[in-house]
Amino acid sequence: MFRISGWASIAVLFASALVIGGSAIAADDIEQKAQICATCHGADGVPINNTTPVIWGQDEGYLYLQLRDFQKGTRKSPLMEPIVADLEKQDMYDLAAYFTNKKWPNLGQPSAPSDVAAKAESAAKSIGCRGCHLDHFQGDGTTARLAGQWQEYLLSQMLAFRDGSRGNNPGMSDLMKATPKEDLEPLSKYLAGLQVDQYIGRGGR
Amino acid sequence: MGSCKTAATIVGALAFSLAGTTLALAGAETETVATTTTREAPVPSVSQDMLSGAATDTKNNLHTNLNYEQTRYYQGKQINKSNVGKLRPAWIFQTEVVESLETTPIVVDGVMYVTTSFNHVYAIDAKTGEQFWHYKHKMGPVTTYCCGPNNRGVAIYKDKVYMGTLDAKLVALDAKTGSLVWETQIADPELGYSETMAPTAVDGKILIGTNGGEYGIRGFVRAYDAETGKQVWNFHTIPENSVGVWATHDATGKDMHRDIEAEKAALKKLGDPYKTLGGGVWQNPAVDLEKKRIYFVVGNPSPDLDGSIRPGDNLYTDSLVAVDLNTGEYVCHFQYIAHDVWDLDSVSPPILVDVKNKDGKTVPGVIHAGKTGNVYVHNRDDCSLIRFSEAMVDQTGMWTLPTPEGAKMLPGANGGVEWSPMAVNPDLGLSYAVNLHQPMTYHVESSPYPGGKLWLGGAFKVIPGSEQFGNVTAVDYNTGKIKWQKKTPLPMMGGALATAGGLVFTGEGDGWFRAYDAESGDVLWSFFAGAASTHHLPPTRWTARSTSWSVRVVTPRSTSSVATTSSPSRPTDRVSA
Repeated sequence: MFRISGWASIAVLFASALVIGGSAIAADDIEQKAQICATCHGADGVPINNTTPVIWGQDEGYLYLQLRDFQKGTRKSPLMEPIVADLEKQDMYDLAAYFTNKKWPNLGQPSAPSDVAAKAESAAKSIGCRGCHLDHFQGDGTTARLAGQWQEYLLSQMLAFRDGSRGNNPGMSDLMKATPKEDLEPLSKYLAGLQVDQYIGRGGR
Repeated sequence: MGSCKTAATIVGALAFSLAGTTLALAGAETETVATTTTREAPVPSVSQDMLSGAATDTKNNLHTNLNYEQTRYYQGKQINKSNVGKLRPAWIFQTEVVESLETTPIVVDGVMYVTTSFNHVYAIDAKTGEQFWHYKHKMGPVTTYCCGPNNRGVAIYKDKVYMGTLDAKLVALDAKTGSLVWETQIADPELGYSETMAPTAVDGKILIGTNGGEYGIRGFVRAYDAETGKQVWNFHTIPENSVGVWATHDATGKDMHRDIEAEKAALKKLGDPYKTLGGGVWQNPAVDLEKKRIYFVVGNPSPDLDGSIRPGDNLYTDSLVAVDLNTGEYVCHFQYIAHDVWDLDSVSPPILVDVKNKDGKTVPGVIHAGKTGNVYVHNRDDCSLIRFSEAMVDQTGMWTLPTPEGAKMLPGANGGVEWSPMAVNPDLGLSYAVNLHQPMTYHVESSPYPGGKLWLGGAFKVIPGSEQFGNVTAVDYNTGKIKWQKKTPLPMMGGALATAGGLVFTGEGDGWFRAYDAESGDVLWSFFAGAASTHHLPPTRWTARSTSWSVRVVTPRSTSSVATTSSPSRPTDRVSA
């Protein structure tokens, strides 16, 4: 999306410069900013460890909101907060668009065994996870993709929502509190094992 | 597209073996172009007279709920009790989007408009299933919606069709070509606003409400100029004084166990919560053309389950509301549940029909089916309640207050009657509703307004292992008595259509689409649409070139439109489960 060439690219950049009052960042800038992200989130989309989330192919609105929330301080992270501190709103949109258009990596996590999957399915149906995260747990818009995310990261976030240490989505906190704690690990294993290569459902974008 | 093709092949093959009919698939298209026009749709300009006369128009389907009164009562009799068994599939149309379908097709002179999840619109030849054009809305980066990426259809007026979008826009498309004419940003999706309802076109205005009751929005119904997209008026569904009368009982006289003293103390401390009190409007208003009024129902307060931080009756949530069509000024309201903490709100579109009042005199009425499982019958003049029906579902434990650990109460938070439109047969004095029985526990947790994030104030939990089912219920709205009720294996969501042929059509979550005898509830015809899902769509009916057609855009995750026709020369096709 960002590899626009020739006059079109100049026109687009000129237009965006007008819109955001001179703080426009060129595609090169985005690449440069994304380099910082790659340090932890991976140059090939595979994060350096399993507590750092995949952001390649993550949903655009969700990525934007997380950047915004790190900046606002409603989502806490000693690591992320200084990185996003100086970003303009348009930077956040651009970064979100940049990463959403990358291909979600295959982390090679195993499919959950049937007993684990059954427990996870029951928990998911009980609180209606698919209502927002959709049938294939790929989310959309401001709702995160969960399918194929690191299991350890998923579990840590569900627990963080549950105990309130992740405070940027009280609705999620409520739903996690209403879910028995012992269901969260099966849920995380089930979701991590869902490797979906195609973005199913929404048709061509 | 890879996965879509797989689905298309399966669905297409099924249709072919059923009836040997043609199969239309969405062809290869460039994804960068918003609209793909195969050929122009031969659609006439739709006048206000046509829209106003829709109740007796057996040739077209111009409104999501068939007419301004929203009766979903089709006056044609060509398909009736004696021949409905001969209905057979005529064509199948495969959409590109493989997600839930909650749309009602609009049909004008043989051109059918179908929307899908994620705001695609198709114009299709209603006779053959061939595509005229396909519009894909260019979605903004931020969309905030709780309950699926649904869309419930377009409105049509003159030479344009209108759709609300998930990123909270209203778009106008050229009805012939599908190209974008204008778009208006209705509200900020970052604050939790989104659009899934079909708009209503009337008197040069496009009426639309908003979703967002799960995100702390301040709800509204607005009118936009059909030509320009400029706002004509706005009605806040939450007035600045939302406190009300401190009602302790619901519309049916049940104690809601409110702690009025605690609420009054909270009001003193927190002030009126109107700015983030929710009050979405999910479905079309009914239009009284004579009185120039519209009637709609307003959804739940935000946050759904936590009443401690929103003291008062939370007007006009969970209410029937009437406003002036020309100005948007308030006329009257009736609140079913004050200070709702169960999300058992008002979603199913109201219907204008003559009803018997308490003295037995026939008066203009308005009826609504609640998530409570009651049908409410009102006087149209002042919104007052004339009667409510027997409960169509189990209400054991109503109104047990939510607790942190979770308290069981019936019905579950999906109803009763969800967004599903009812149909009526005014000759029989019956309304037809589809219901859910889905036991849940209600959990409360308190948290402050989260700035556009999901804000439930707790959780609704389906009780694992509990039996779930649904029903189709006919209610005599002049007495409030249930005339007949048919249990279905799965909870029902979607809506109904009644016809002068003595039929009621509706579909079920396991893929069965059925015709019922309007008087007895006997199943007269069934068609297996091949989908396994939990949502349903209201069926529509129209006439194209002298042949009666009945269509149901079948259930989500199967993503097809199926048309059936009553041609007597073909044998009946049935599929057994």
